Amino acid sequence: MPKYDVVVVGAGNAGLSAALQCQLGGRKTLLIEKHNVPGGAATSFVRGRFEIEPSLHELCDFGPADNPGDVRNILDGYGVKLDWFECKDCFRIVSRYSDGSPMDVTMPSGIENFINRMEEYVPGSREKMTTLFDLFQEVLDGIAYITASKGHADSKVLQADYPNMLRTGAYSTKKVFDALKLPRKCQDILSTYWSYLGVDMEHLAFIHYAAMVHKYISRSAYIPAHTSHQLSTAMVERFRELGGDVWFNCRAEEFLFDGDKLCGVRTNLGVIECDYALANINPDIIYGKMMPKELIPEREKKLSAARGRIMGGRMFTAYFCLDASPEELGIQDYSIFLSGTADSAVEYQNILKGTKSNEYSIFLCYNIANPAFSPKGTCVCSFTTFGAPDEWGELKQEDYFKFKTDFAKKFLKNLKDKTGIDLMGHIEEMEIASPWTFARFLGVPEGSVYGYETRDWDGMMARMMMLGTDYPIKGLRPIGAAGPRGDGYSATIICGQLMAANALKDLKEWEGGNP
Amino acid sequence: MSELNVKVGLIGKFDMLKFKNMSKVREKAIQAAPAREVSGVFPVNENAKALHPDFLELVIEKIIARNGAKTFVLKSADGKPLPYFRAGQYISLKLPLDGSLVTRSYSLCSSPREALSGSYEITVRANPGGFVAGRLLSEKNVGDKIIASGPQGFFYYEDLRDKKQVIGLAGGSGITPFLSMARAICDGIEDFELTLLYGSRTEEDILFRGELDEIARVCPKFRVVHVLSDEEKGGFEHGFVTAELIQKYAPEEYSVFLCGPEAMYKFLKPEIEKLGLPERLFRRKLIDVTKTPWESEDYPQEARGREFTITVRQGPQEWTVPASADEPVLVAIERAGIKAPSRCRAGECGWCRSRLLSGEVFIPRENEMRRWADIHYGYIHPCCSFPLGDLTLEIPGEFF
Repeated sequence: MPKYDVVVVGAGNAGLSAALQCQLGGRKTLLIEKHNVPGGAATSFVRGRFEIEPSLHELCDFGPADNPGDVRNILDGYGVKLDWFECKDCFRIVSRYSDGSPMDVTMPSGIENFINRMEEYVPGSREKMTTLFDLFQEVLDGIAYITASKGHADSKVLQADYPNMLRTGAYSTKKVFDALKLPRKCQDILSTYWSYLGVDMEHLAFIHYAAMVHKYISRSAYIPAHTSHQLSTAMVERFRELGGDVWFNCRAEEFLFDGDKLCGVRTNLGVIECDYALANINPDIIYGKMMPKELIPEREKKLSAARGRIMGGRMFTAYFCLDASPEELGIQDYSIFLSGTADSAVEYQNILKGTKSNEYSIFLCYNIANPAFSPKGTCVCSFTTFGAPDEWGELKQEDYFKFKTDFAKKFLKNLKDKTGIDLMGHIEEMEIASPWTFARFLGVPEGSVYGYETRDWDGMMARMMMLGTDYPIKGLRPIGAAGPRGDGYSATIICGQLMAANALKDLKEWEGGNP
Repeated sequence: MSELNVKVGLIGKFDMLKFKNMSKVREKAIQAAPAREVSGVFPVNENAKALHPDFLELVIEKIIARNGAKTFVLKSADGKPLPYFRAGQYISLKLPLDGSLVTRSYSLCSSPREALSGSYEITVRANPGGFVAGRLLSEKNVGDKIIASGPQGFFYYEDLRDKKQVIGLAGGSGITPFLSMARAICDGIEDFELTLLYGSRTEEDILFRGELDEIARVCPKFRVVHVLSDEEKGGFEHGFVTAELIQKYAPEEYSVFLCGPEAMYKFLKPEIEKLGLPERLFRRKLIDVTKTPWESEDYPQEARGREFTITVRQGPQEWTVPASADEPVLVAIERAGIKAPSRCRAGECGWCRSRLLSGEVFIPRENEMRRWADIHYGYIHPCCSFPLGDLTLEIPGEFF
């Protein structure tokens, strides 16, 4: 068995990114993946004549070539190349404003377009919206400064250049919206994005929200030409080209230690010796099942307990491959947010209560962004919502298939009632992925794709500030959606790079002095 | 400096302090929690694992001899419930035979209900030239252990997609998934109406005659029409299943499900086309990869019969194995006794997906079910790829 400098466990977005970063950093790196395909959620599956995208709605922070976002820069830096399609409109929402009146709005990309459209829907909102986008910009610049200063941000610079970020950064999105006196209808429309982070507006840090939404609106969103499996495979192949090794169907069973320092990984293909492991695994799983209990620091146990058992984004997605084109079906929008109310706090509670009260789904038609997504005269659509942990935890196998089909039926009916789009009678292939499915393929607790909720005290910025305190185990760092940057393709690709850079730094330090 | 001046609290300085204190607030929340052991056990994950285990350890509990076939009643080795399934799905057996490890998939013919009490049934019929089926029939005894995959495959009824009335076309041992469906309908697990047109050579060859007739007797949602190709008898249809025969028994709206030998698929293809059904109303069970690749139109004839060498890598290991152009890559790997993953052997499940590092293969069009990026970046399904020269292949690991 060869020895490696770094073993990256799990070829999800974060793992792929970390593996590339380590290999480029001159370390002999092995990437192991417990499934026979890379990507984790960034994969695809084939049914009949269709290839289906399981998870990616919109890659934010990518941007066009002349205005690249962080993720485009990272992938370019890795030398990963593939074709992309832009998702032109931001979204359509069919819901109710919090005052109960019906909402049907379509928001475009581009800051100016966005503000103009908002003015049409909410007359008199222009000035407030302009202020909001200025604030978004300052927040983004401020985060960029903090990131670039690598933990040594100068508080004088922060106070001089980013005072508004500092003053709003510790508050929830709702609090900042209220402080700006943003009209309630604007707030309702803007709250749509909450579900991409899985935390409602009253508990979602403004700084996190601002960074994400600004990127979406200013840089538009992108999808790979051939599903996110193309992205993952392109990353794997680039990693191989750079000399990295990849083993599929190789599952880490246990992390091995020499004293308090990691020295290897036990897998179904044998024990692999290494100096460092970057684990694309939720820390609760690592601590609960994959390493000696006595090596788990007290603070990490407290951290796990403080976070509790409600994980973010326990996914449920129903995929439908249709034997009619979007035009024939009357589909014009790439994504439609269908919710019972725009009040995200109410919606969040309804989701947690279970399938009966859950009215929330995002309807997506991939062919709108990419007309060649499926064979001519067909299209692929999906509905995505969240599951309630107790309900899916208590469900019995013999009731499972019917339960998930009934849940999917609800969203088909919802779509028909709210938009007139009727998919029935056109379904050629279908698949329904529940929290069980995501638990099975990603190994994530409760089928939660989003990791720990980036909620209140555990927001993204607070996690970033404590990077040096979290993850204290020598030679083992968890990466992925449970990490400092939270969930999403962009966040996990960035997280993988960030944590790999830290690992490279550790390795260098150990070589320099006494490990 | 921008004129932007946003304040949330009354005093801006305090808000700035709040920002600075975010890590202190977080640390306080963490320190207030108890330092309890992290369990890492989550009910949803346990459910997922029970429904989709890495593999199953089964024991043959009973063998029922039938005309030219045997039904194996399989129990879980630990006596616990077996994964529930959709009637029509199959399991893939992993069989050690003379130093090779080969897989064969068999449709479950029992009702999903039996899985809850830890029991599956499969039925194996000897087929000419079939190496594995013959060995299974002659060598396996009650009490023998068998490793198998969990239930899988997409040949099942889906009420959002399929018409409430289904015409099932079965040939020979292709009856097994339909028997499971009929049993599931009878048990109230599935809710659709199944009319089965079941082709056999003679009355004597009909598999599960008694079971099928009995279900049809007690369950109004199921009926069976026996079609005999080699015998003309009262109470039976004579000849092959044709478009005309389907129309004779079909209601106004229906879906067609098909499971039978390769010859039946070939014969029925133009017949099904005559029905003018949209693609979504016609489903067929997988067909095994061809045994005669050189009969495919686009096969490079010069490769036929040639011998090659395959370098196989799996994790840290590497082997060099002989291969024939006339057999799928997977067969060469299995014959070398390598624990190579495979399940459906038809190109569909993708479990054997491997990276072809060098060399070329032939893939029959009917088994081409790879993802776009897999085709683009050189991943193949060895179960239905025929070597056209020496190959270097990286295969995934296995778990049993």
